[in-house]
Amino acid sequence: MEEVISKNATNYKELLRNYMESQDEQALYGVEKVSKAFIKNNILPEEIVNLHIQAMAEVCNDLTEDYKNSMNFLLEAMIFYGLAMQEIPLLREEKHILQSEISVAASMQKTLLGTNKPEINGMDIGVISVPAHQMNGDYHHFVKGKDGSLGIAIADVIGKGIPAALCMSMIKYSMDSYPEESMSPKSILKNLNRVVERNVDPSMFITMCYAHYQPQESKLSFSSAGHEPGYYYNAETDTFKEFETRGLVLGVSPDTEYKEYEMTINKDDMVILLTDGVTECRDGDRFIESQEVLDIIKKYSDLPAQEMVENVYKHFERLQDFQLRDDFTLMVLRKNS
Amino acid sequence: MNLTVNVVEENEKSILNVVGEIDAYTAPKLKETLLPLTRAEGKIIEVNLENVNYMDSTGLGVFISALKSTKESNSKLMLVNLQERVLRIFEITGLDEIMDIKAAIRGGNE
Amino acid sequence: MEPQSCVNIHKEWDIVGARQLGREMAKRLGFGTVDQARIATAVSELARNIYLYAEKGQICFEFIDNIEHRGLCMTAVDTGPGISDISQAMQDGYTTSGGLGAGLPGVRRLMDEFDIHSEIGNGTRIKAIKWVR
Repeated sequence: MEEVISKNATNYKELLRNYMESQDEQALYGVEKVSKAFIKNNILPEEIVNLHIQAMAEVCNDLTEDYKNSMNFLLEAMIFYGLAMQEIPLLREEKHILQSEISVAASMQKTLLGTNKPEINGMDIGVISVPAHQMNGDYHHFVKGKDGSLGIAIADVIGKGIPAALCMSMIKYSMDSYPEESMSPKSILKNLNRVVERNVDPSMFITMCYAHYQPQESKLSFSSAGHEPGYYYNAETDTFKEFETRGLVLGVSPDTEYKEYEMTINKDDMVILLTDGVTECRDGDRFIESQEVLDIIKKYSDLPAQEMVENVYKHFERLQDFQLRDDFTLMVLRKNS
Repeated sequence: MNLTVNVVEENEKSILNVVGEIDAYTAPKLKETLLPLTRAEGKIIEVNLENVNYMDSTGLGVFISALKSTKESNSKLMLVNLQERVLRIFEITGLDEIMDIKAAIRGGNE
Repeated sequence: MEPQSCVNIHKEWDIVGARQLGREMAKRLGFGTVDQARIATAVSELARNIYLYAEKGQICFEFIDNIEHRGLCMTAVDTGPGISDISQAMQDGYTTSGGLGAGLPGVRRLMDEFDIHSEIGNGTRIKAIKWVR
């Protein structure tokens, strides 16, 4: 190391001499390489200024006192830059530690909040949920009842990252404690609202859509707590319709009641549930219109539901230059018999 | 994207003019200015969102905590001149039913 | 012979006096220009800590000169409120974040040896040494 420094110091002196004589571009290219070597060896700016002072004293013999004083002044001004530079490796290491801690948390979250896509007779289900960063603030959950019915939850916590993810665990465990099969979407939301209202910071809230599907009657009932509206695709008329659900977000007002909606689903109809990470995609500075989402869904609607959501995701991932701004969750339920 | 917030005091009313985008990065700035105002007893706080073309859920969070805070201090929070895109977020989340909100020119939420 | 001298820190101006004394002593010991500047900066940080948080204190310099070592030892003593969480005060990595300056971690980095004792209500004593290379 010392050798590297003294070799480069000699080099610096020679290059400086050349440059003083001829203002040669080659000397400048040379000093660029020397400076890279200095950085690689963690040579601090004040040491370089000092090296320059010494080199100048050898190269020129008619240096003025003014010049020498000014260089000492410059050296003094470099001390804090040197201190700041020495922090870089430390900060880099800290960042690395944090990153690995978060990735452990993220995989733990996956295990904790994991849900299996159930097999439901006559229903093709596709779902994709991708976090913008490592931790996901979106959540979805399937429960298959003993009577063959299916409970579906899709939720989004305000914000993203770790606070959102922590909050989601709370939702998941409250839901686990309910006898879900016996509860209607509106009473599940009513209960969750109370849990959230009591347990989170006033600026925190959660949006959720809860749906319950009964295959025997092809009946879907659902309630929304301020969640991004989903869509119903009517195969017969080949049209999409936005769900006109009303309902306050979870966690704002303790005694909120939720409305429940009901509909019958026919063969090849689709129910599309999503989070605002889908509808608020941006293409550069432009926000996409909801029609664009539907067009893309339509484009891939010949595929099985899982391939469909994956292709829609890929489309918007590309549109946003592979940098998601928000967590992205998309779910498609298609009745296939 | 930047956010600027300035406050104009008008008798019993504080008017907050907000300009820019309200997202996770800029929301703390709005919160810093808005929340102290809501703690004052019996005041009207009017937030002018005419020049806000984007707001995400973090922004909603700020307004929800402001609303809760005004209830404790008997103050009143009003949001005015919301652009369509911002208004839609209040409608989806059902907050338009518990907050005093007036849209910009075209139609209201009534 | 081990000369020792001290500077009282009470006003901001005293920081300059402390820097100057530190630099002169460093020069006399034969430190190079870069190390002189580093020592002066470390003195500055210690003196400013006293000025900002303790109001009153003293920085003393001492030559260390024996067969094994040659170096400058500085001791900053104040009777201020003391530091309640030394680990936090020593937390590194914030020079670049502005506001707090390099603080104690900076001093530790500028010098070769560093030691701190602090008692709530009784004040703080920091000792730092730089060896002549």
